[in-house]
Amino acid sequence: MRLATLGERWWRRMAIAPGSALPQRRLFLLPTRFGLGWAVLFLLLLLFGINYQNTLAYLLAFWLFGLGVVALLRAWRNLLGVTPTLHLPHEVFAGGEARLGVALAGGRPRTALELHAGGASARINLPEGQGEAILALPAPVRGEQRLPLLRLETRWPLGLVRALAWLESDERLLVYPCPLEEDEAEHRHAGAGLEATDFAGLRRAEPGDSPARLAWKQWSRTGVLAAKAFSLPPRQQLWLDYDACRGDPERRLSLLCARVLAHHRAGDRYGLRLPGVTLPQGEGPHQRRRALEALARFSPAGEREAGR
Amino acid sequence: MTGRVGGEAVLADGRMLSGAMLRQLFLGQCLVLALHLAWMPAWLAGIAALVAGYRYLQLRRRLGRAGVLLRLAGVGVLTGALWLHYGTLGQMESMIGLLVGVYLLKLLETHTRRDGRVVVAIGLVAITVAFLHDQGIPMAAGGLVALAWLVHSLVWLSGGDGRRAWRESAWLLILSAPLMVMLFAVFPRIGPLWNLPQADRASTGLTDEIAPGDIAQLSRSDARAFRARFDGAEPTPAERYWRVYTLSDFDGERWRRTPPERLASTLGRPLGQFVAEGRRSPWLDGEPRFEAELLLEPDSRPWRPSLGAALASDEPLRFLADGTLEGTSPLASRSLLRMSSTGQAPANPDPAGPTWHTLLPAEGNPRTRELAERMWRESGGEPRAFLAAIMARFGGAPFRYTLSPPRLTSADRVDEFLFESQAGYCTYYASAMAVLARSVGLPARVVAGFLGGERHPDGHFTIRDYDAHAWVEVWLDGAWQRIDPTAAIAPERIEEGAQAVDDGREAFLADAPFSPLRMREVGWVNRLRLDWERLEYQWQRGVIGYQREARNALMARVTAGLHALWERLVALAPGRGWLGGLLGLLMAAGIAAGLAALLRLAWRHHREGRNEALRIHRLQDWLARRGLGARPGESPSAHLRRVADEAGDAGPALRECAHHLERLRYAPLGREEHRERTRQLARRVAEVRRRLRRRLRRLPRRQGGGAGAGGVAS
Repeated sequence: MRLATLGERWWRRMAIAPGSALPQRRLFLLPTRFGLGWAVLFLLLLLFGINYQNTLAYLLAFWLFGLGVVALLRAWRNLLGVTPTLHLPHEVFAGGEARLGVALAGGRPRTALELHAGGASARINLPEGQGEAILALPAPVRGEQRLPLLRLETRWPLGLVRALAWLESDERLLVYPCPLEEDEAEHRHAGAGLEATDFAGLRRAEPGDSPARLAWKQWSRTGVLAAKAFSLPPRQQLWLDYDACRGDPERRLSLLCARVLAHHRAGDRYGLRLPGVTLPQGEGPHQRRRALEALARFSPAGEREAGR
Repeated sequence: MTGRVGGEAVLADGRMLSGAMLRQLFLGQCLVLALHLAWMPAWLAGIAALVAGYRYLQLRRRLGRAGVLLRLAGVGVLTGALWLHYGTLGQMESMIGLLVGVYLLKLLETHTRRDGRVVVAIGLVAITVAFLHDQGIPMAAGGLVALAWLVHSLVWLSGGDGRRAWRESAWLLILSAPLMVMLFAVFPRIGPLWNLPQADRASTGLTDEIAPGDIAQLSRSDARAFRARFDGAEPTPAERYWRVYTLSDFDGERWRRTPPERLASTLGRPLGQFVAEGRRSPWLDGEPRFEAELLLEPDSRPWRPSLGAALASDEPLRFLADGTLEGTSPLASRSLLRMSSTGQAPANPDPAGPTWHTLLPAEGNPRTRELAERMWRESGGEPRAFLAAIMARFGGAPFRYTLSPPRLTSADRVDEFLFESQAGYCTYYASAMAVLARSVGLPARVVAGFLGGERHPDGHFTIRDYDAHAWVEVWLDGAWQRIDPTAAIAPERIEEGAQAVDDGREAFLADAPFSPLRMREVGWVNRLRLDWERLEYQWQRGVIGYQREARNALMARVTAGLHALWERLVALAPGRGWLGGLLGLLMAAGIAAGLAALLRLAWRHHREGRNEALRIHRLQDWLARRGLGARPGESPSAHLRRVADEAGDAGPALRECAHHLERLRYAPLGREEHRERTRQLARRVAEVRRRLRRRLRRLPRRQGGGAGAGGVAS
């Protein structure tokens, strides 16, 4: 374990940040098991040539050697200069998977690039010089997390050597709590299906307004085309309160998360009260994101301190 | 082919090999098997078909995988069949069969990428083993095809689709070929490290005993015995007597060779009196008359031919006291041998002594003895006159030379030949002559070897089995003298070779019904044959014969060449020494770097010539370096137009660039027009650079980094 962390530290030091082309100094070449077998095969054929004084066996043995060397260079060249760019997933809930997009631009065609990170892997060809692979990373816990160390490698063309590079991004992956629906539907209410029906006045008509909403009477009277404006009926205004939930902190956050999602769907105005954090009432995608981020970043340890 | 390849090597699950990949592996097996099939039992192809059929059904009908029992049964059947076929498993051939068979059976348990790679690796070993059978041009070409196919399989296994894999395999093979050639030339050649089982070589060539009356086996075959090339003088047709064995032991029916070991033990003398190992013959010295380079065919017996008595060779050999040679081991593959020889029968007395060479069975062939006595008396006890009388006797009727004489069956074969059938070929006459000579106490022996050989236009000789010949050596005046009775009866055999003998033609090449040698009279066939043989000879001599001596000679030449180059460099430089040499090297490096830069430029130019987007992109970069870069989100043509407004006299050219670019990108242009516009664009881009550079030089660089495009224009 300790060795692994040591190794990982070393790899992290060797890693490069995404967004720039892979430089020569950070590409590594390692023989694969088949590559070692290839070396044994070369020696075998060479011995065969020597012992039977067989010229064609010599030739074949040396050709295998040459192929090994050239495969080394070709594998290196297959990876050199690839520019990886990370596309973070829009939202990730704990327990689900983070679909991390890795866009690769190579300039020239590349073949059989492999991406490995945190147990997930993907394989991609870049026949046109660019492409994007999706890595489905598992996201078991809530919170702000470092992206796992990403390994970009290729065994092309002969599978004898592995050219690899390590990528490390500074970007943080924010994992929202896992939404947990409550059993009782007390917080659910008829917010959905509301339509804007209350007449709120006139405004200047714009192209694209529905003919049914145009104020034809006003037009006949004044000659100015206006459209009727309606407003939504007043909706629930509510607070989602950490203290009102039951259970351990993670459960409470999960419940709150589910309710944020539900109220957003319903179009409600809601605010969020967490120990030490208060999010004023609001609505819309912006509010949803702020609420989910607050839930994701919330640390129960801070609550205890705030409570004292 | 391109329609069939393609697709992925593995199925969607990312592990199991696809049907296309399995077919690829199977075809590779077929190619490798084809290299072996001429030497191996044909039922191996049946195994390949059975295995492929099973895999096909398994993929199509969802048959189960081959279980361990089935696989074991396969190996068992293979081993049993090989045992039945060869009678043993320890032989080289059966081991090769085992390897090839296991290679074929491996397809049964080939499921993942790793398995596929293992199959390919075994295939490479199987190709190498095929080179044990033969190393000719067809085998090398077949090996190359199989290697390319296997490399393609490996590339395809690593990813991508089949077509891209072909391109990559071609690159791999081409790029690695120079390395291979260099290693091949430079790698030091050492002898075998340990003994390995050798493939059995049929010994079809010359035998070390002859019996007049048997069928003339060798004239029926067109197999190549060896090839030769001469440095300096070439022998005339009448001088092309290749000595191989001397036969001195006659039992009344057949002449046998007595190897030195047997001679030593029979005569009770040390072996060193009869044979010596080394690079020079201890028995003879003198000026060599012929310097020959022999290309020997593999044979299980260690015989080596020499034109006359052997003097020296470039590798250690066993020099026998009778002037013949033996190798220290049988030849497993074709190899080169350089040797010098006298061109004549040896001048040294045979240590076995004259008595040994006058031995005849106590009885038998009474009429021959009687004839010899009579002729000896008639010639007045003069050996030369006696021999001339025998030759004269053979030269006239009723003796005739034929390749298919009546068989001799009686115990007194020489009598039967001399007085009854009076028809035969070289062996008959040589045997009769030697018996006649021995009957009167003249030491004589029969020599078996080759006479003649086909001279190719490039100067090398091919000696074939049908050139086999026998003649007589008689000890006269303190030296062995070659006497060939065939010269008296069939001089055309000496001058033109065995094919010139008319009598008994049906025996000539009887065992080679499809030999191209039968069509010597058809001009173009003969030319084709000669061309092919020349190519084959050069291949065998230059590539296959590239063993220790050839490698050392080449390395010496290269070293000498480098040294001479170094000397010349040192002489050129003013400092005359290390400094001068270093300067020369630096100069060479500079020239190389300059050439590389030029090539790079040419390559860039070439690419730009085809790609207007690249050209414009480079122009934009160029502009950006001068503070006229594009704004975020600005299209190339908009960028050029905006710069044009501020670029003074470069403006029109910039606008034209933008126009051409748009036309090239979006207008449906014909091929001709496209080319014309690309050319125009190139010209305009050059103009922009020229004018802008001049303009920027005129403007003082007072605008710092912050001042953008506007600054330049103001």
